[in-house]
Amino acid sequence: MFDINFVERSIIAAVLIGLTAPLIGSFLVVRRSSLIADSLAHVTLTGVTAGVLAGNLQAFWDINPLYTGFLFAFAGSLIIERVRHTYGGFQELAAPILMAAAVGLSAVFMSISADGVTEWYGYLFGSVVSVQMEDLWFIGLMTIAALGLLAAFGRELMFLSFDEEMAAAAGIPVKVFNVLLAVLLAIVISASMQVVGVLLAGALITLPAAAAMQWASGFKRMLLIAVIIGEASVAAGVTGSILFGIASGGGTVVTAAFILFATLLLRTWINWKRNRRLKYERHQGA
Amino acid sequence: MIFLEFDFLRYALIIGLMIGVVAPVAGVFVVVRKTPMIADAMSHTALTGIAFHLWLASYLVWLSEWNPLYTGILFTFIVSFLIEYLRRRFQAFQELSIPVVMASAIGLGVVFISLADGFNNDLFNYLFGSILTVNAADAVVIGIISAVSLLLFLLFYKELLFLAFDEEQAAVNGIPVQRVNLLFAGITAVIVASSISILGVLLVSALITLPAAAALRVASTFKSMFLYAVVFGETAVLAGFFASYYYDLSSGGTIAVVSFLIWTIIVLAEKVAGQRRQRPWKEAKWTDKANQ
Amino acid sequence: MEDSTKTLLEVNHLSFRYESELVLDDINMNINQGDFVGLVGPNGSGKSTLVRVLLGLHKHYQGEVRWFGTPVRQFHQWPKIGYVSQKANRFNAGFPVTVYEVVAMGLYGKKGLLRFLNRKDKQRIHEALEQVDMLGYKKKNMGRLSGGQQQRVFIARALVSDPEVLILDEPTVGVDAASAQAFYERLSHWNREKGITLILVTHDVGAMTKYVTKVACLNQQLHFHGTTREFEESDLAGAYGHDVHIIHHEHDHHAGGA
Ligand SMILES: Nc1ncnc2c1ncn2[C@@H]1O[C@H](COP(=O)(O)OP(=O)(O)OP(=O)(O)O)[C@@H](O)[C@H]1O
Ligand SMILES: [Mg+2]
Repeated sequence: MFDINFVERSIIAAVLIGLTAPLIGSFLVVRRSSLIADSLAHVTLTGVTAGVLAGNLQAFWDINPLYTGFLFAFAGSLIIERVRHTYGGFQELAAPILMAAAVGLSAVFMSISADGVTEWYGYLFGSVVSVQMEDLWFIGLMTIAALGLLAAFGRELMFLSFDEEMAAAAGIPVKVFNVLLAVLLAIVISASMQVVGVLLAGALITLPAAAAMQWASGFKRMLLIAVIIGEASVAAGVTGSILFGIASGGGTVVTAAFILFATLLLRTWINWKRNRRLKYERHQGA
Repeated sequence: MIFLEFDFLRYALIIGLMIGVVAPVAGVFVVVRKTPMIADAMSHTALTGIAFHLWLASYLVWLSEWNPLYTGILFTFIVSFLIEYLRRRFQAFQELSIPVVMASAIGLGVVFISLADGFNNDLFNYLFGSILTVNAADAVVIGIISAVSLLLFLLFYKELLFLAFDEEQAAVNGIPVQRVNLLFAGITAVIVASSISILGVLLVSALITLPAAAALRVASTFKSMFLYAVVFGETAVLAGFFASYYYDLSSGGTIAVVSFLIWTIIVLAEKVAGQRRQRPWKEAKWTDKANQ
Repeated sequence: MEDSTKTLLEVNHLSFRYESELVLDDINMNINQGDFVGLVGPNGSGKSTLVRVLLGLHKHYQGEVRWFGTPVRQFHQWPKIGYVSQKANRFNAGFPVTVYEVVAMGLYGKKGLLRFLNRKDKQRIHEALEQVDMLGYKKKNMGRLSGGQQQRVFIARALVSDPEVLILDEPTVGVDAASAQAFYERLSHWNREKGITLILVTHDVGAMTKYVTKVACLNQQLHFHGTTREFEESDLAGAYGHDVHIIHHEHDHHAGGA
């Protein structure tokens, strides 16, 4: 159909993920639930391994494992919300509990499956150069869905992330939108699987948003900065992958982490200078 | 038992049983301190260390004689201090310090693996654990680490409890908060890294978090929480061990799944029993007699 | 008479700011052994902040704070000072810890590292629980107590190390009027009989003036610091009592002040 080579495919895939992952990440970070991304990514791995295993066991099962991954991620995001409510004072336990269970199951599935380790590495660490046309369709579809949902309901989601109680009082159907956020997260994670891999999807979602939060005073500005940082990171990841054969997830995340640490140092330095000036002015005034 | 005739299986069982005690004990503190993901951050850091070792070993041949796990322990130990530093340095950033460290660690780890051309079976064993790779020396090292960790937990029990319950009040009462925090981070780092041989980087936190999370639901005193956590942990370890021996399933994976099943059973049992925590709102009255 | 007693706490020209907002402005006060000080002021006036500076929890203040003659930054005998935070009740209700275990924590700092509790300490824990009438609850899970009961346990924890000074930040929030009354009686009793110096942060000006011996009115600056009689004679009493009462009803912690 389209005649594009693997370099073009990987660049398109990376640009799409560099856009959606930081967007959804911004909502998670302000909602203080950034850990959920990591644990859902691992649940996606369970879905993928289950999909591959099903393909092994039954000859007529021929579904891209990314789809089972998406389904599992979606179910997982609903489960997390439930578990959060069963632990009054220890809500932060929900994410690691699910994550541990997910990786455990994945490991068991992998040990049953006949597939070799190389296939799993692609899912674990991302391998943007091996994105096939079929995968690109999946990623494109997921990106369109995510952007559409964000455009339609971004305002409500922001309100909800900022203050759930107030949003409920203002008549926003909190439950529905929590589920929507979960769907969005599942979409983005399953789409980013091949670019950064399960182990690093959470990082690409969280790091750019965390860095953007340090610079932005408003939420729109935060989204913009997060996307810029996200795109810069995937650009570095793809370059490293094509030129030096470094797993694309690694390069991407190291770049994002570098930007974040640089941001933090710069912020600290700016604060330090401001404090010193304040002190000096007080001294002059006294 | 037939399988105990194999040396490596005997060592694996011994190591598993030791880890089955220390990991859940560390988990109890990790969970009540409300930083359950710290175990994940540390184990991912160990992966960075392992990958770094593998990469370096492709240049320095003598390094390949050493178990990369020791480099992993070293990295985890250093990063545990980095996490504490970040938590203090960037106050507004506290909850992000763990995911950030975890993300950076694994990103860097992946880069090292790529450089070392290390996407092979060995790496897979580090990720998901393998009981086939342990030997007598590992058993001795892990035995020493376990004993020392348990001793330190015992010696600093009261400080750790107070810090977990109320860090500010502990500071007011003159507990050396920072030093105890660092000590705890150090012990946890070493426990995490030494559990990797059996459980794998990705599954260590399962044995740390899940038994403690289950214990949290049933324990009403702090001391009993340790007992429950260790019982749950050992059950999972034994189950994982036999599943991997008889059915050739991943040992780390089975340990995690069994821990999760225990947790699920407890949550469901609570639901069925309808045992909701009730708060007796009746106020105790101030009596007059103590005023006299 | 005051001049002859020992000065426990000296505060000279204390100023403090969070980031850039000035919260405490040039505070001067002394507290003597045996005082029962009521610290009042509207929401956001800096009462809790002052207490936290006194306790060494905020290190970057300007001016001078001395406990028993030692500057706070060098002070190490914290077990001499008992503290119940305004936020004590906001602990994690799911924490698996018994009343007894919580009170025992009060001794941990005093014992020091690498020491375990002995029989005498256990006796002391029982006494402290008895002093707040909570001995019958010692094996109960902390999260399952009512708010007022939890408050008492925290007071017992502050008492258990036999402190010379007890600082209570709004201890009667969530306690019914009759119990609050009894509680003030009890404090007054400890103050007179055991000679414990008390610093009580409260909005309850009416009830308080019956028991305290000194009053400090804070609103960024220290507007008044003197004996209870002087306070009642000054026009501040009416103004403050009134002011404080109105604000007390809309209990909103961080909205107050600016
Ligand atoms: N951690 C903090 N960071 C920044 N500002 C703070 C912090 N804690 C308190 N403040 C501000 O300092 C001021 C004084 O607060 P403080 O808690 O000392 O008041 P308070 O007198 O105890 O009030 P209340 O009667 O409500 O307990 C308030 O304006 C508050 O917004
Ligand atoms: Mg206050």
